[in-house]
Amino acid sequence: MASGLGMWRAGFGLMACWLALASAAWAAEMPGSERLKFEEIGERAGVRFVHSPRKFSGQHKAQVLEMFTYGGAAVAVGDYNNDGFDDLFVMDSDTGKPHHLMRNNGDMTFTDVAESAGVAGGNDTQSICADALWFDYNNDGRLDLLVARFGTPILYRNDGPGPDINYRFTDVSQAVGLTKFGNTVAAIAFDIDNDGWLDLMLGNYFQPVNLLDLKTPHVLPNNLDYADNGGGVTLWHNVPLANGERGFVEVTEAAGFGRHTGWTLDLGHGDFNNDGWQDVYIAGDYGTDRMFLNKGDGTGTFMEVTETAIGYDTRKGMNVDIGDYDRDGWLDIYVTNITDEYMKECNMLWHNNGDGTFTDLSKETGTCDTGWGWAAKFADFDNDGWEDLFVVNGLRSAGERNYIPALVEMIIKPGVDFSDLNSYPDIEDMSWSGYQKKRLFSNMGDGTFKDVAAEAGVDTALDGRGIGVADFDNDGLLDFYQTNTNQPALLFRGRTENTGNWVELKLIGTKSNRDAIGTRVVLTAGGNSYLSEVNGGNGYASQSTTRLHFGVGSASAVDRVEIRWPSGLVQTLPPEQVAALINKFTYIREGEGLVKR
Amino acid sequence: MRWIAAVVVTAALGLFGSAQAQEAESLFQEAVQATQVADYEAALTKFEAALQADPNNLRYGNEYRLTGVKINQVKTYDRCIAFFKQLVADHPKAPNAWMNLGYAYVDKIPTEGAITQVLLANTALGHFSTALDLEESWLGRYTRGNSYLYWPAIFGRTRWAIADLEKAVALSQETDKRNYQARAYRGLGEAYWRLNDLEKARQIWREALELFPDDKELPVLLGQDDKALNAFLTAHFEPGKRVDTNVSALWEDTASQAWLGQDDKVPPAPAPIQVETGRHVDTTEGEISGKAN
Repeated sequence: MASGLGMWRAGFGLMACWLALASAAWAAEMPGSERLKFEEIGERAGVRFVHSPRKFSGQHKAQVLEMFTYGGAAVAVGDYNNDGFDDLFVMDSDTGKPHHLMRNNGDMTFTDVAESAGVAGGNDTQSICADALWFDYNNDGRLDLLVARFGTPILYRNDGPGPDINYRFTDVSQAVGLTKFGNTVAAIAFDIDNDGWLDLMLGNYFQPVNLLDLKTPHVLPNNLDYADNGGGVTLWHNVPLANGERGFVEVTEAAGFGRHTGWTLDLGHGDFNNDGWQDVYIAGDYGTDRMFLNKGDGTGTFMEVTETAIGYDTRKGMNVDIGDYDRDGWLDIYVTNITDEYMKECNMLWHNNGDGTFTDLSKETGTCDTGWGWAAKFADFDNDGWEDLFVVNGLRSAGERNYIPALVEMIIKPGVDFSDLNSYPDIEDMSWSGYQKKRLFSNMGDGTFKDVAAEAGVDTALDGRGIGVADFDNDGLLDFYQTNTNQPALLFRGRTENTGNWVELKLIGTKSNRDAIGTRVVLTAGGNSYLSEVNGGNGYASQSTTRLHFGVGSASAVDRVEIRWPSGLVQTLPPEQVAALINKFTYIREGEGLVKR
Repeated sequence: MRWIAAVVVTAALGLFGSAQAQEAESLFQEAVQATQVADYEAALTKFEAALQADPNNLRYGNEYRLTGVKINQVKTYDRCIAFFKQLVADHPKAPNAWMNLGYAYVDKIPTEGAITQVLLANTALGHFSTALDLEESWLGRYTRGNSYLYWPAIFGRTRWAIADLEKAVALSQETDKRNYQARAYRGLGEAYWRLNDLEKARQIWREALELFPDDKELPVLLGQDDKALNAFLTAHFEPGKRVDTNVSALWEDTASQAWLGQDDKVPPAPAPIQVETGRHVDTTEGEISGKAN
């Protein structure tokens, strides 16, 4: 029998719980209100790194090359040491500059362990690091790390903790067969044939020429709307090696991607047609984006559906993120482009019509204009049950003079060869779409978004590139790390009050790939259904958490959770497990259900 | 539309009295009829034949281009451009052929990507300039000045727009007042809006409204506060948006020939005629073709 004190405590606890739920109920009645708040804590957290783009000193038209490679400020989120806290990998790009593996200490501070882990390198004299991706390529339960470069990629195998408890990584690029040169700016991992092993897709900007040792100046886009002389993509199938380890073989042509020769800036994957197989969206600079549907026959082959699904465009596609922003049970796609005084491309919010076609609703939803857009991420930052959208932007913030007039004079010059480095004027200290305010679009729950970046405290004017979203302190509010090229990175901690309730799931594949990438969860709570998929690196220069975070608004309990694993298993959690999910971070293992970490 | 045909025939006869003009007009009418029954391929071919017979005919070119816009296919825009390019190559002294070539490039802009749009717009400007080099005209000045307005202020073309539009206004003041002349005043005010001089813009529009009290668009411009006006004009001048290149107001508005070059002769007004439909048409309402030479 409980003592009186115990009874009181229990009663107080129930009251507190009720108050919390009541508060959530209030919040949930106001989807997309202007209550979103963030606190920038990068300095205090120890993650205020200043990115340095590659300098091409001494090389012909060095400034032009620098301009076309003005990125590389990437971030990848992943729990590499399986301690239950998402860590950060923050990249740099200039010669000799180290990357930062930031171990999450669990108190919103981080410790740089890149050197001891052996993952700080890669920016050598012949290579420029541009993107990073955590994925468990060998299903050993430890996240491995891919560093994508203008050069050959580096795959670091996570060997786990050494005698000193620090984790060690080994460069296995040669051993796994990742030795092909490419000017890679994007990398995603997903299982193309649902065989339980993660495959790898690389998006390449330039053709495979060494920009650091150029033999010809004709390396730039041959057309600024319809360029077809870019690096396209390469696709790498995860296969067993003779020694029992895993490796990769290129299957780009066989899988149906060989004809894409555009200037790829970003890649995204998801099950666009709800058939259980992962499809692909390619964002192309200087020309059309492309969509490929998985044939779904287990062969890991794809068919291009660009013409019928989205049509051909001439925009400067920068980012691919995927989410069900309108909760209709179909994944939608957000692509950033260039919208500025001199060019009004408008972003694309591809609403999935559910019939193989998509309709761009960026104007209707209010998400069209984000300046010179880069990464964008869907995330429910206030747990109201609707995916919000954070977008970074800005190309180059420098002096008062503007590069655009000089550039346009070049463009309209009769007979100009756009592919020739020599055609472009030097940028010197000029700005180009710089000093642009970031946009935080709060999902209003009625098919529209409202920019609340200023009110939320995230409307910085830095030259943003990547966004890593995660609940770094496991408090149920999503935080994010923002990288900026040639400028300091920022860490924004979620500080929104009166938020809704939430559920956070970390899925562990058994028959499916260990990271559960491609797994789809449909969660039902309070009469609403919420759809989310685990993705392997969607978003420009970004990888966000692979946990699935659901805001459920005022719902005080989860009613149902259905998990569709890439293996084909459809798992419905039993009621007692469902009851334990609300306002918690939970691990779920394929075929088992809830498990401890 | 038969009354138009009758008017045009009469006007053409009055103007040229030549067999070639009659042939051109006949071909033009056949093209118009083909357009009315949606036989666009035949229409385009007939328009082209009419223009080959009368290359400086602004109206023929206008209807030809507008048929292309109605079809709205890239290959048709390309066909129009290619046709006018050949036309100006064959008739380099025909200013209206150059104007139509410029308009053909403008017509294609919405079908293209942002960078190609810049190239098309710039090429069009070049052709408008050639037309003006051949012959000073209200239409040339207005068109080129208005084209500069579509370039964001950052490119420094707004001053050039002001120079052209001021000249267009001056030219219009030398002739009888016509409703379409209000466009140059509107554009001039919009140029000052581009330069963030809203006071000057509104002053010009107010003066214009006194001159053109029936103009429908001036009150819209004058009736908005700064914020609304900025939004309105920003949307209006959005790059890539289809620009209305239909210049038929020049001959549908009144009998004015103010758009013609300064050396052009204003044709004698033909006598009113009775068209087959029984509608009485006054030549001050239905205008002659855009023949400038």
